[in-house]
Amino acid sequence: MRTSISRATILVAAFAAATPALAFDPDRPVEFVVTAGAGGGTDIFARTIQSIIGKYNLMKAPVIVTNKGSAGGAEGFVYTATAKGDNFKLAFGTNNAYLLPIRAKVPYTSADLTPVAALAADEFILWVNGKADYKTAADFVARAKEAGGELKVAGSQSKDTDQILTSMINEATGANLGYVPYKSGGEAAVQLAGGHVAANVNNPSENLGQWQAGMVKPVCVFKSERLKNDAKVAGDASWADIPTCKDSGIPIEDYNMPRTVWLPAGVDQDVVDFYANVLKKVSETPEWAKYLADTSQSADYMSGAQFADFIKADEASVSEILKREGWLAN
Amino acid sequence: MGNIGLLFEGFGHILTFQHVLLMMVGVTLGILVGVLPGLGAPNGVSLLLPLTFSMEPISGIILLSCMYWGALFGGSTTSILFNIPGEPSSVATTFDGYPMAKAGQASRALTLAFVSAGIGALAGVVMITLVSGWVANFALRFSSPEYFAVYFLAFASFISMGSSAPFKTLVSMMLGFALASVGMDTISGNLRLTFDIPELIKGISFLIAVMGLFGIGELLLTTEEGLRFEGIKARVRISEVGRTVLELPRYWFTVVRSIFIGILMGITPAGPTAASFMSYGLASRSARDKSNFGKGDPRGIVAPETADHSAGTSALLPMLALGVPGSATAAVMMGGLMIWGLTPGPMLFVERPDFVWGLIASMYLGNIVAVILVIATVPLYASILRVPFTIIGPVIVAVIFSGAYQVSNSLTDVWLVVLFGLLGYIFKKLDYPLAPLVLAMVLGDKAEDAFRQSMLLSSGKLSIFWSNGLVSTLMAIGCLLLLAPALMWVMGVSRKRLTRPDLRQDPNENPL
Amino acid sequence: MSSDGARGISRFAMEILVATATAALGVAVCYGATEAGAGWTEMGPDAGYFPFYIGLLIVFGSVMNILLAVTRQRKLGGVFIDGRRIKSVASFLLPLVAYAAVSSFLGLYVGTALYIAFAMHFQGRYKWWIAVPSGLAVAAFFFLVFEMGFKVPLLKGPVEAWFGIY
Repeated sequence: MRTSISRATILVAAFAAATPALAFDPDRPVEFVVTAGAGGGTDIFARTIQSIIGKYNLMKAPVIVTNKGSAGGAEGFVYTATAKGDNFKLAFGTNNAYLLPIRAKVPYTSADLTPVAALAADEFILWVNGKADYKTAADFVARAKEAGGELKVAGSQSKDTDQILTSMINEATGANLGYVPYKSGGEAAVQLAGGHVAANVNNPSENLGQWQAGMVKPVCVFKSERLKNDAKVAGDASWADIPTCKDSGIPIEDYNMPRTVWLPAGVDQDVVDFYANVLKKVSETPEWAKYLADTSQSADYMSGAQFADFIKADEASVSEILKREGWLAN
Repeated sequence: MGNIGLLFEGFGHILTFQHVLLMMVGVTLGILVGVLPGLGAPNGVSLLLPLTFSMEPISGIILLSCMYWGALFGGSTTSILFNIPGEPSSVATTFDGYPMAKAGQASRALTLAFVSAGIGALAGVVMITLVSGWVANFALRFSSPEYFAVYFLAFASFISMGSSAPFKTLVSMMLGFALASVGMDTISGNLRLTFDIPELIKGISFLIAVMGLFGIGELLLTTEEGLRFEGIKARVRISEVGRTVLELPRYWFTVVRSIFIGILMGITPAGPTAASFMSYGLASRSARDKSNFGKGDPRGIVAPETADHSAGTSALLPMLALGVPGSATAAVMMGGLMIWGLTPGPMLFVERPDFVWGLIASMYLGNIVAVILVIATVPLYASILRVPFTIIGPVIVAVIFSGAYQVSNSLTDVWLVVLFGLLGYIFKKLDYPLAPLVLAMVLGDKAEDAFRQSMLLSSGKLSIFWSNGLVSTLMAIGCLLLLAPALMWVMGVSRKRLTRPDLRQDPNENPL
Repeated sequence: MSSDGARGISRFAMEILVATATAALGVAVCYGATEAGAGWTEMGPDAGYFPFYIGLLIVFGSVMNILLAVTRQRKLGGVFIDGRRIKSVASFLLPLVAYAAVSSFLGLYVGTALYIAFAMHFQGRYKWWIAVPSGLAVAAFFFLVFEMGFKVPLLKGPVEAWFGIY
């Protein structure tokens, strides 16, 4: 029942030589393996956690962050997976941890990783160019159907979250949107701002700068309810003003990307519990709340059985889409 | 334009003792990071990032950006002294910088590089000051077909170099393309050319290849003549630095052309590496007397260095104005902006002019500080060359090995460096040119991605490469550059037939 | 390779050897490309489309290089490397390879210290009491800069573990 513990208590607990109830406590540097390049969403996720752990002294051992983002993050997951039984390597990623082995022939499977926790959920929004005359998602869908295959959606990576969502939109509405993969959400944002593509499905933080300048505008959010943050971020508009997609013409309820943390397979349960506990404390700090607000993500801490069930469900639903598109690796 | 006024306000924000001190610290750390080949600017900036969380955003960005400038200068240093490019963008500097240093003119080579780099950087900042809005809008017009055209242009301007052994050039370049395509393919998300070897899924790092091909390869060549440096005797005189600075005005045209190339490549995502290669290629092609290129021609140092740094500074503009990082280092800095509570993007200029113009002002000062600091270290570097080879040789190997390991914490990379070293040694001895391999490795996969993205955008129609004025112009210039040698040859042949045999000289040749 | 004995390796032999090796690489690239799909789909080229032709061009270039070597280089003769130089290069190359091998087991810090000390003592003819401290000094400098300063660790082995450094 740690949810009600105040910040002061955490501090006291942390200073009182961590949590004596747990058997495991790392006695050597812990490596945070970031499965993305420096500066990307996953990198900021891991480094924010590193700085919070340092600030509140949540762990005695020092933390080293390494970026291993090649091959869509597979580099970092393979590196972690091959360190079987290593108690001192944590991989930071998204749902790509278990999606990569399904869609590409990478030398690891999700069984080679032990799920530790998920700390946040990044949302997806349908964005169009600022000058576009679409009012609602239904307008956009109607235009896409009219244009045949000529409307293109830009996104980050191939056969990853963005392209899967595009495929879901096509399936749900009968439109035939084309997908163009770029290296990052930032590139996809600029392609949309320049009017070279019709839309993108970027995370909120990836398009915020262009939205503020009126170069792009949000159409709807892929969530069953509106976003909560009602601070005015772009002129008079706030995140909470964006309608949900299911209300405005695209029948897709909740689609988001969990920010996840993993250990290699073959580690003891008390090791998993230790890190899950540290991350739990991280997720309760004001700094974490600020990070979530700044990047417009939703708080969503999951660990243990709850997280395992979530993975299973997500894996199954995404596999179906991959299968329909013929993207399964095996 | 109110920009000048805003710039002076920016200077007002940053001209404090504390900020100048931060600049010096940043530049010094940057030089260290740039000199050690495995570290590189992105690493250094990531490391300093947590330190800046408690600072004012403007102080933070001054520290980080100055570290970046320092790293760019440091990268050129090792290119010239040891033939090891510390950064991908300083590969082209090795072509003439290293031969010049080897001929005993290390101080001259370093000074030429640093001063022309400083000029390039300042030109980039002046451009940002005067026409930032216009340039940002221009950059927005670039989509995949335009990117492809820019890469094509870079290839076309470089490709006809060293055509003494055309099939060796072909093999070398194609090997570069093949190496670049190992790993995950961006467009399909599938692995390719990995042959089920787990170490290959991350691809083959460009840095590993150049450290082996150039660094180890050159050491092996050197040791043929016994375990000593052949001919490098660096005598350092301050007057030599001064004399070299006075020499620069002679290359004003090269400088101007390189600045232009650098800015164009910097605001498009082609970046500093493409800029330095293209600038070198054009410098050597347009020179009347080409014989000295590759053997220590000063223009072969001035051209890539100027372009590299003007591209490096211009690349910060897309980051500030559009919110797209132009390089890995810029990506880390952008992460910093977000943590400081700023949103990179067009509104930054409107909402936080103090920050933006403070940064721009610091780019002027930071680069001047960097040039002064780095020139002050020339005697130090040059004296490294007087250390006996039996000490400095193994130390270079140790630096390369540790750098290779750090690229992705992988021992496989250390073995790859050894392999690339042998390849570089053998290729050099058999007259296979290395430059096309390196260029293909840097730009190959980017060009392919851009091409295939264009195909996706146009639903498979090649006509997209002639679909608007911008892309058509770029493609036309590229084709012209590619065909220029053939055209010259045809024209040369017809002219020879027309003129009298005793006047059958190259009309460009100086009669003196 | 050593068919020419003390005279070293002829340039002709080396030209043929390298061109054959690049041709083999070209074939491997073509093979890998067809595995990834080398066609032109309705949405533009597939993952292996460009690599396939790149592989073909490597093979073509290599064959031309072999032909050129046979027609020209053989007549020119020429030595790739003579016996004395082989010795000189090997005396630098072999310790370098040993350095990589030793580092795989003992980590890069220990490998570096051993390599520098060895190279200075045997190649530079420095006394061991200069060479050994120099090796240790370089390794210690690396440790300070990389491990403490920039927090980008190098590979560590059993010796560091024994001192309790991971």
